[in-house]
Amino acid sequence: MNALLRKEMRLSASALSYIFIIFGVLAILPGYPILCGAFFVTLGLFHSYQNARESNDILYSALLPIAKRDVVKGKFQFAIMVELAGFLVMAAITVVRMTVLDDVEAYHDNALMNANPFFLGMALVVFGIFNTVFISGFFRTAYNLSPFITYIAVAFAAIVAAEALHHIPGLEAVNAFGFDDIVLQLGLLIAGAAVYAALTYLSYRKSCRRFETIDL
Amino acid sequence: MNVVELKDVCKKYPSFELKNVSFSLERGKVTGFIGRNGAGKTTTIKSMLNLIHTDSGDVCYFGLPLLGNETEVKQRIGYSTGTVSWYPRKTLGEIIDVTKAFYDTWDEEACRRYMELFDLDADKKPMELSDGMKVKCNLMFALSHGAEVLILDEPTSGLDPFSRDELLNVFTTLKEHGVTILFSTHITSDLEKCADNIIYIHDGEIRADCSRSDFMKDYGQQGETLEEIFLRLEREARI
Repeated sequence: MNALLRKEMRLSASALSYIFIIFGVLAILPGYPILCGAFFVTLGLFHSYQNARESNDILYSALLPIAKRDVVKGKFQFAIMVELAGFLVMAAITVVRMTVLDDVEAYHDNALMNANPFFLGMALVVFGIFNTVFISGFFRTAYNLSPFITYIAVAFAAIVAAEALHHIPGLEAVNAFGFDDIVLQLGLLIAGAAVYAALTYLSYRKSCRRFETIDL
Repeated sequence: MNVVELKDVCKKYPSFELKNVSFSLERGKVTGFIGRNGAGKTTTIKSMLNLIHTDSGDVCYFGLPLLGNETEVKQRIGYSTGTVSWYPRKTLGEIIDVTKAFYDTWDEEACRRYMELFDLDADKKPMELSDGMKVKCNLMFALSHGAEVLILDEPTSGLDPFSRDELLNVFTTLKEHGVTILFSTHITSDLEKCADNIIYIHDGEIRADCSRSDFMKDYGQQGETLEEIFLRLEREARI
């Protein structure tokens, strides 16, 4: 593990960032808007930013023998690590729901989103939105946490849209139960991963640019 | 030989301006950076560490521009500020353990020695330290990686007279080992004790940059102490 990530994990991170990864387990609940699990993972990450601000982490990091943009890199490394951990929890629950629990009646009669590859793709999109709206918004000042409010609005718009998408005629397949539409759903998962990678990369570049120009 | 050079550094804020700040620091010398509160000492120091985005000017260490060589330069310099508390709820041991991984030249023995000298306990948290102990803690970090240049922003503020004396003796020892020190202060007795050179800043402008003896000669009047010179210069500048 590199020194930057180690610093994030041991000094800057809030314990809630780790604990909230468990919210990925919400994917097991029938009749629950399971995409909220992805939001809770990012809520845990948000606590690390509060923690970082209170402990003068940004200034401390900027004084270390690293380039200024590496301060941003450390924050992104940590966010990606937590997001992927949350994704793995959700992926494991999704596999369980699609296989071991596939005959549980409560999952068949579900007005909201089913746990399937499309759900996982959308979870990655929510993480991408967090990285874009909140993290790059934070690095506009390196102390102001208010971009999280904008993130809540955007994330919940995405969650509501994704949870309701299959009610639009012709789009039922995105939420289909079982493996009948697995190719389409896996394609959507890959698309979600591509969106996550693109949003995260662009946000990282933007955050570096912003952080280089601000005064600490 | 100059190890640090600032050339025409400018930074404009709505209510304050750093105007063409230029000076250099010689190897193995202690330079006192004086000026009243708000004169631009901290802004200058921040520009020397790339913590603020200057409007123009260059900062070079060891002949290398800071921008573009940040990693190499910061390995060789140390910074300490007054009473800022880093990671108040972590133990000093945890902070040291994480920090040392960033430095190629981290010296465990020096770290242990300064912990002992400054009476710091690895199990204590910054939030449990007094302001004076926080200063010592910050200094311990700066001194533990064999920095060739130390930039210290009011390192003696909040220290009791005994600790201050101890610290100034540390400066003298470090100087003998070739370490270059720039420390800002408004406590002029600190300068009398160990400063070779003096840089005086007023309202964002460098008004004097010379050896301490030249400063006394060129700016002082018969029988004036350093403090009296400083106070008179400030009074004259306000007229």
